[in-house]
Amino acid sequence: MKKAILFFVAPFGALFTLFYLIPIGYAIWQSLFTVERTGTFGPATEVFGGLTQYKQVFSDGPFWESIGRVLLFGAVQVPVMLGLALFLALLLDSGLVKGRRFFRLVYFLPYAVPGVVAAIMWGYLYSPNLSPFTEVTSAVDLLSPSLVLWAMANVVTWVYVGYNMLIIYSALLAVPTEIYEAAKIDGAGVFRTAWSIKIPMVMPAIVLTTVFSIIGTLQLLAEPQVFRSFSSAVSSTYTPNLTVLSTASIPNFHLAAAFSVVLALATFVLSFSFLKFTQRKGVQ
Amino acid sequence: MRVRAGSIAVLLAFSLGACSSGSDDSSSTEAGSACAPAGAPVTLTYTTWIPGIEKVVDVWNKANPDIQVKVQTGPNGNGGTYANFFNQLKAGNAPDLGHIEYDALPSFRVQDGLTDLAGCDIVTQSQSKFIDWTWNQVTFGEQGHVYGIPQDAGPMGLFYRKDLFEKNNIPVPTTWEEYAAAAEKVKAAGGYITNFSQSDINQFAGLVWQAGGHWFGNDGTNWTVTMTDEPTKKVADYWQGLIDKKLVSSVPPWTPEWDNAYNSSSAWTWVSAVWGANSILAGAPKTSGKWAVAPMPQWSAGEKVAGNWGGSSTAVFKNSKHPYEAAKFALWLNTSTEALTLLNKEAQLYPATKEGASLPALKEGVEFYGGQKIYDVFAEASTQVKPDFTWGPTMTKTYADASDGFKKAVTGQETLTKALEDAQASTIATLKSQSIPVKE
Repeated sequence: MKKAILFFVAPFGALFTLFYLIPIGYAIWQSLFTVERTGTFGPATEVFGGLTQYKQVFSDGPFWESIGRVLLFGAVQVPVMLGLALFLALLLDSGLVKGRRFFRLVYFLPYAVPGVVAAIMWGYLYSPNLSPFTEVTSAVDLLSPSLVLWAMANVVTWVYVGYNMLIIYSALLAVPTEIYEAAKIDGAGVFRTAWSIKIPMVMPAIVLTTVFSIIGTLQLLAEPQVFRSFSSAVSSTYTPNLTVLSTASIPNFHLAAAFSVVLALATFVLSFSFLKFTQRKGVQ
Repeated sequence: MRVRAGSIAVLLAFSLGACSSGSDDSSSTEAGSACAPAGAPVTLTYTTWIPGIEKVVDVWNKANPDIQVKVQTGPNGNGGTYANFFNQLKAGNAPDLGHIEYDALPSFRVQDGLTDLAGCDIVTQSQSKFIDWTWNQVTFGEQGHVYGIPQDAGPMGLFYRKDLFEKNNIPVPTTWEEYAAAAEKVKAAGGYITNFSQSDINQFAGLVWQAGGHWFGNDGTNWTVTMTDEPTKKVADYWQGLIDKKLVSSVPPWTPEWDNAYNSSSAWTWVSAVWGANSILAGAPKTSGKWAVAPMPQWSAGEKVAGNWGGSSTAVFKNSKHPYEAAKFALWLNTSTEALTLLNKEAQLYPATKEGASLPALKEGVEFYGGQKIYDVFAEASTQVKPDFTWGPTMTKTYADASDGFKKAVTGQETLTKALEDAQASTIATLKSQSIPVKE
């Protein structure tokens, strides 16, 4: 029995260790070092620096600003995206629309477009002079400092709404039909069923997609990286992951590792507290 | 407490072990004797982003069966290849040869990533072939060190729309004062004199270079960072004035939007390097035959000083086992008429050699520029570049920081001078975080 468990877990365990645990361990290890050198071109010697790099991370203003920026982004974009995903899932499930398979595929299609390609495409659409909608984009500069964050939120929503819809929709399909029958007999209409039966039944799926989205938001990279070349408003430290990237390009691998570790911890704390929060609610 | 001290000791031992093996490597390549022929067939790896490089390397491979070169291409340096190089150096699997621009050479030297080729006779004997300032860039002005083979140079000139200047009776500016006056007239005629680039900090450095500014200094003990010296301030204030009066546009460079600004005749000039000839040709096909090239505007009438933007070297990485063969290939690539002609044909590279200026390909008129022999202008500019401009050891980051500020400047949130002050402060912080000695 034990052997069988080992047999089935081993492939996952090996890959998880190789591509997840070891890199994390290596990053933590790297983050504890600092370099010393003598002379203007002296070669670097790595010395143990304890938490030196972390001190720098915690005193780095732009990094924490960028954390604040992605939190604001998430606070708006995640509810909008998941609300939309839930709405579309309910719509597909309600039987009100014909061509359910067709729409399911259409909603999901943007997810098949790689994130970078999607960002480049939307970059063109937003461009003040070259967009097919220049009447809009030349009047409202969607790439300006005040709007570019939301322009990117739109790209992320466009890409991921179908993906999240699919997760919620498959949860809806798993709801036993007897419950609907019972609701119908009790006199519940379409909206009442959706509100009182379907949404509570797919809550675990919504929680799951929220956790995924929180993680995705904090690790935002492809969109701001692409938009950096399109927009004057996106700096090299616009999101936490961009800071990691530009620090690694110095190259200061030790500081970049410390940034990554702090970012991973922040992501963990946020997703974990969200899970705890929803679980407590579930108990009540 | 005792436990913790113990574990620190273990960590220290580990890190010291790693270091000592590193210094072994460096001593072996610093010795001149390391640069000897292998005496057996070798295969070299070479990473670059020169378009069409495969054709050039094919010519070498056919003639040199014993030194085969495998070429790999990637994005331009700051666009990702440098980051790859740094990662490969850390992992110990960097290629034998790499394409490194002059401004990035100090970054690689400070990371101990380059083989000093001063031990190779074939390299030191070639010094006289190269334009003096390009040799200075690869030796950092030091005797007895050579960290790369100069490949190309980027002497700057003024690309301008001859047709529009003539039609509107605007004289071609020879000084920066005239350039600003022309900017007013161009604006009145419905265009912009140029597009001010918010992210080409190396172009701005070229303008500062011309004005006699210095951003970095290195006295052997300390680095100095002076991105706000008087000449730099002069250049920054000048362009700030044009930005404030809205005489220049500021679309992000190297985007379709930017191509469009030139293609639709919205931007009338571009103060750029010789390789910029290809950028206009590729980005603004509708303006064929309408451009011409003049020398860069001067700060005082009658002066003849040019700036430089770009230019690259072919460097041999530290872990290369065949520095002799690598140097031999790099010298052929960057000095032979055969290779230089091909490099110019495929990628419009402008050679860093003295003889390069008289390549037949560089003596011909260029159709896109109304048949003008544009390379003559750059050949002259090439001799007018000041030899003593020094780059800092963390340029990718310095560029990113300055660009963050320039972006704010073009959107009216701050000034170019403030951006340069901030870039200087963050560059100093970056140096300190790398324990690179810097004098404040």
